[in-house]
Amino acid sequence: MAEIQNDTAFRKALDGLDIDRQRKVGAMFVRAVLPLIADERVTAAVDAAERGASGDMLSAAFQGARRASIDWHTRCGAEGDWKEQAAYFVARAAAALVAPPAHVKSGNPAWQAAVNARMARTSLSIDGEAAATRENEAQYRILAGFLNA
Amino acid sequence: MTDRAKLAINAFKEQIDGAVSAYFSSCVHCGLCAHACLFFNETGDPRYTPIHKLEPLRRVWWSEYTLFGKLASLIGLAPKVTDKLLADWQELTYNACSLCGRCSMVCPVGNDIAGMIRKQREGMVAAGYSPEGLQGASTRAVKIGSPMGVTWKAVSAQIGHVENDTGLAIPVDRQGADYMVLMSSMEIMNYPEYLEAVARIFNAADVSWTLSSEAFEATNSGIQIGSADIARELVSRVVNAAEKLGVKTVISPECGHAYTALRWEGPNLIGRPYKFKARHILEVLDDLRAAGKLKTEGFEDERMTFHDPCQLVRRGGVLEQPRRLVRMVVKDFVDMPDAGKMNWCCGAGGGVSAIEEAAELKLTAFNAKKRQLEAVKPEKLITACANCRIQLEEGLEENNMDIPVVGLTELLAEHLVETEKAEG
Repeated sequence: MAEIQNDTAFRKALDGLDIDRQRKVGAMFVRAVLPLIADERVTAAVDAAERGASGDMLSAAFQGARRASIDWHTRCGAEGDWKEQAAYFVARAAAALVAPPAHVKSGNPAWQAAVNARMARTSLSIDGEAAATRENEAQYRILAGFLNA
Repeated sequence: MTDRAKLAINAFKEQIDGAVSAYFSSCVHCGLCAHACLFFNETGDPRYTPIHKLEPLRRVWWSEYTLFGKLASLIGLAPKVTDKLLADWQELTYNACSLCGRCSMVCPVGNDIAGMIRKQREGMVAAGYSPEGLQGASTRAVKIGSPMGVTWKAVSAQIGHVENDTGLAIPVDRQGADYMVLMSSMEIMNYPEYLEAVARIFNAADVSWTLSSEAFEATNSGIQIGSADIARELVSRVVNAAEKLGVKTVISPECGHAYTALRWEGPNLIGRPYKFKARHILEVLDDLRAAGKLKTEGFEDERMTFHDPCQLVRRGGVLEQPRRLVRMVVKDFVDMPDAGKMNWCCGAGGGVSAIEEAAELKLTAFNAKKRQLEAVKPEKLITACANCRIQLEEGLEENNMDIPVVGLTELLAEHLVETEKAEG
């Protein structure tokens, strides 16, 4: 029975998964924050990661999610809106899920998805519209459930 | 003459010093600056010739400070600075100039044309002929402390996020620290990985550092819009916080114009030398490398190149430091043609990115970067300015070029040798 209580164990467990399973569990992390964005391209990327898409399908999903992350970013000098910024981080998380290896920092899409999903939740809390939830702890539970399934 | 035109003329007169007079009087009308300008080159529009962009300032110089100009003024023949002229030149002064300084480099008589554009902006902003986007950014910078409206609450949230992800404590308001780290709003909003990278590198190098809750913002909208008063106010906040904490060095982040504002314009704006050093993060990291405190392991697999932010390399002279750092982690490094001090601007500097109406023009300007990249075909692109980074990402996407962009500090952190030790 896997039990994960900190990021060290979390990362170690994620690193132990093959790329398909990293994408699948990463999709679960992104799914948890998906209501923070209304963008079909992002949803399509999460769907693609969940069903283990490959080749052209994966590539198309990545291009859509990456374009979404660029569209949702805050322009330099523009007034920041943390709700929109939460959407930007969800788009980044989704793009990381389906990205080719060169685009993924640390080489682990699930970890990148997790970090960006946490930042999305953090962004939402900045304007005081939602209490900052412990997204990392929620992710520990998701991963433990995934490993134990 | 309207009140607005009068305001502009008076502000122009305040900007016209010996250097400006010498520049205008020594211009030989060769047109070399046109071919050095990103905006002229990519559009072919002669209005974008750098020296032509200075026509309002030149008219005031000629009519007020030259013999023939004064005589022409007396008989009503001197070309006038009117509201229409100022309105027409707003686009040329802001949207079509990133203050990259490439024109200044090629001028055969040594005119600092970009420096004069900066001065012309003082008059434009005094008369209210500045873009709405930059006005908003400047207002927020003065009132809230950040051009993008980022508050300390947002920085605190990011600190919490980084502390959770890394297990490191981020020092805040630590008296007597060696380094005070500034960030740009872009890094706080779009690239939180920058703070994480700095925290991990400084922890590994056992560096004494701090953030200041009173001055975390490095960007300076006053420099971009062309208001010395605003620029002075924003620099003063950093200076006051740094001197209150008694830090030895203030670090400008991966942001081009923030470095210009802090390091080169700052002391002149406040009228005295700093009691601390001002350095760019890459200068500090290169010092750590030289001292053996920045240790990395492994190399990137891809062929990579580096985009020099104009304010860093051309206006600031930080040329070799990034390359020494890149070579620590990249074996297949290739410089683009014209890299270094003659590098082509990304197209979004000098406040251009904050001007919504300039969105199409800045993407047209990106074509110069596109050609540079096509010449060396990198698999990954490194830079050291968050504003350049977002423009590069947009430009690459627009041109269907599949090249990931990464910040240099962040890239180094990915290869960092970290040992277990007390958290810093």
